[in-house]
Amino acid sequence: MDFKYILEARDVTYVYGRKDGGNASLKNVSIGIREGVKTVILGANGAGKSTLFYHFNGVFKPTAGELFYRGIPMSYQKEHLYQLREDVAVVVQNPDEQIFSSTVEEDVAFGPMNLNLHPDIVEGRIRDSLFKVGMEDYRYRPTTQLSYGQKKRVAIAGALAMEPKVLILDEPTAGLDPQMSQEVMELVDQMCLAGTTVIISTHDVDLAYAWAEEIHVMRHGHLVYSGVPEDFFNDRDSVALAGLTLPHTFSVNRSLEGIRGLPEAPYPKTNSQLLAKLSPPEAVFGTLCIRALPESEDVDREDEGLRVGIYGFRTRRAFKDRGLRADIYFNAVEGCCLSAMQGRDTVLYCDPELVDVVRRRVADLSRFGRAPEVVP
Amino acid sequence: MAMGLSSGSGASEHIQMDALAYSSRMLNWAPLGKLLLVIVVLIANVMTDSVVTAFAVLAIGLVLMAYSTNMRIPFMLAVAIGEAILILIVACGIISINGDPSEPCIWRADFLWLDLYMTADSFNQAWLVMIRAVAGITVMMAFATSTPIPHLAQALRQIRIPDEICEIVVLIYRYAFLLLERMDTMWSAANSRLGFTGFKRSMRTIASIAVGIFTSSMNLADKAQVSLDCRGYRGYFPIWNRPRKAGVGWVAAAAAVFVLLFVLGTYTEGVIDFAGLAFGV
Repeated sequence: MDFKYILEARDVTYVYGRKDGGNASLKNVSIGIREGVKTVILGANGAGKSTLFYHFNGVFKPTAGELFYRGIPMSYQKEHLYQLREDVAVVVQNPDEQIFSSTVEEDVAFGPMNLNLHPDIVEGRIRDSLFKVGMEDYRYRPTTQLSYGQKKRVAIAGALAMEPKVLILDEPTAGLDPQMSQEVMELVDQMCLAGTTVIISTHDVDLAYAWAEEIHVMRHGHLVYSGVPEDFFNDRDSVALAGLTLPHTFSVNRSLEGIRGLPEAPYPKTNSQLLAKLSPPEAVFGTLCIRALPESEDVDREDEGLRVGIYGFRTRRAFKDRGLRADIYFNAVEGCCLSAMQGRDTVLYCDPELVDVVRRRVADLSRFGRAPEVVP
Repeated sequence: MAMGLSSGSGASEHIQMDALAYSSRMLNWAPLGKLLLVIVVLIANVMTDSVVTAFAVLAIGLVLMAYSTNMRIPFMLAVAIGEAILILIVACGIISINGDPSEPCIWRADFLWLDLYMTADSFNQAWLVMIRAVAGITVMMAFATSTPIPHLAQALRQIRIPDEICEIVVLIYRYAFLLLERMDTMWSAANSRLGFTGFKRSMRTIASIAVGIFTSSMNLADKAQVSLDCRGYRGYFPIWNRPRKAGVGWVAAAAAVFVLLFVLGTYTEGVIDFAGLAFGV
């Protein structure tokens, strides 16, 4: 069936408590989420982001308005809701609210078991999802003994085990240290590549600006903007009214191009793009080599003198298992580009399915100015 | 009340106990089998008046506990048993000085308005109670340190306790940790704002924390319901990794242990006379 949006809300209003005297947390919200597009719902605390998410998987029923999944109006009958929740998984902000079971494997199995899947399939999903989030060594651990970051990964694994078509992450990086945030975002990128539509809610403008292809901005229960991030952040008043600030990269680009008297566009979203735009022609860049997950055990010797970055959960695991050296563990595409642009010859190892994506991202730097030379 | 008052909530003790249970060498034993064994041992312990049986139960408890904890009794567990023994010493001391005045005394004293009268029977009875109680504690500790609550819930399921009750047991276990952690945090926050300076203020602070915990539990329940719905909850908690079932072997072992202890108790009643050993009477 043809549909414009995989998820759509039309004039949705939601009132907590009594309809006449309650507090409306969504007010006539109309929003469309396109399939396969990296989408961020941006808004300050209390803007209604989480409430909107619970409408997308049918946990909340709108007080007024209608919701559509794949162009079909949502039905709130039990069986339809189970089907919807199989397709649309939500990872809530606080993992403690989502983890019910006593051990990690038990919790990851919770969703697939609710789908009445065959035990062999459940076993496969537990293994895969724990591997993806790097928690396979913790499979038999009690959930009460995990750190916050580990619980967050288990919560994500629980959602991945459902193999959803749409994955909604409510503040996925909240409470995580920067490295773990990067790891989560790498995982999210790989989910996108695998064909899952990922929606993220956040008030982290830097994350939203760098990651999203499309943003929807909410304020006091209203949807105030839908479109590409650059257009929204160009409107300072709207940004301020939404209780947000300008992303760091956007702000620096604006200031520097203002000083140089040059146009702000194209808008760099990452430091490497900014550096590509601002680097003088005489700057000497190093080379960047992009390789799929190494088969050789002797990588350390081959890469002697090079800075080594790793990207993707399989590569990360392989390096850990083989005890290989890596200089750039997190946000490695960005890190390796920056390393090469600072004159260091660099090699980036990544999961095989990511090689083309990484090449495209490096090539995209030339849109802003100079890109490091990619060597075989 | 001291300013550095500790919450004493026991959150960390709970977590340690939980960790101990999950790392136990008896973890994979059938929980229902373990429960059955513990129950029959405890029953046998009180069914005879033999100190030898009590010593045998104590030995079983200590061996199981040592095996369960990999031959290393953790400090926390030792302190818990030590506390129980201290309480028992006081209680058994009282039993021993409450002898029947019609029997000859082996020791007598007046203390304030009390007539402390110890007989051979009361002295022996006190020792029997003491050893029985300590033996019972060790056996129950061996079970507690080797059986996580979810396994216990599974054992309850196997004996046809309604699912609703078993699930409540698991959820209470899961959320007790969260609420205890929250209470610890609130306690520290109150303490850092001088909430425990003086008795009255301490009481007010404790009351506020109790209210806070109650409100938190309500919020947590609401959020947990939403999360359950998000994960396709269908009205029951499916179990992925079921603990082993207690087979005929467990029943036979439990029955054999019971018979052995009972027979031992029957033939060894009165074999050890503590009064004779201590006072030569």
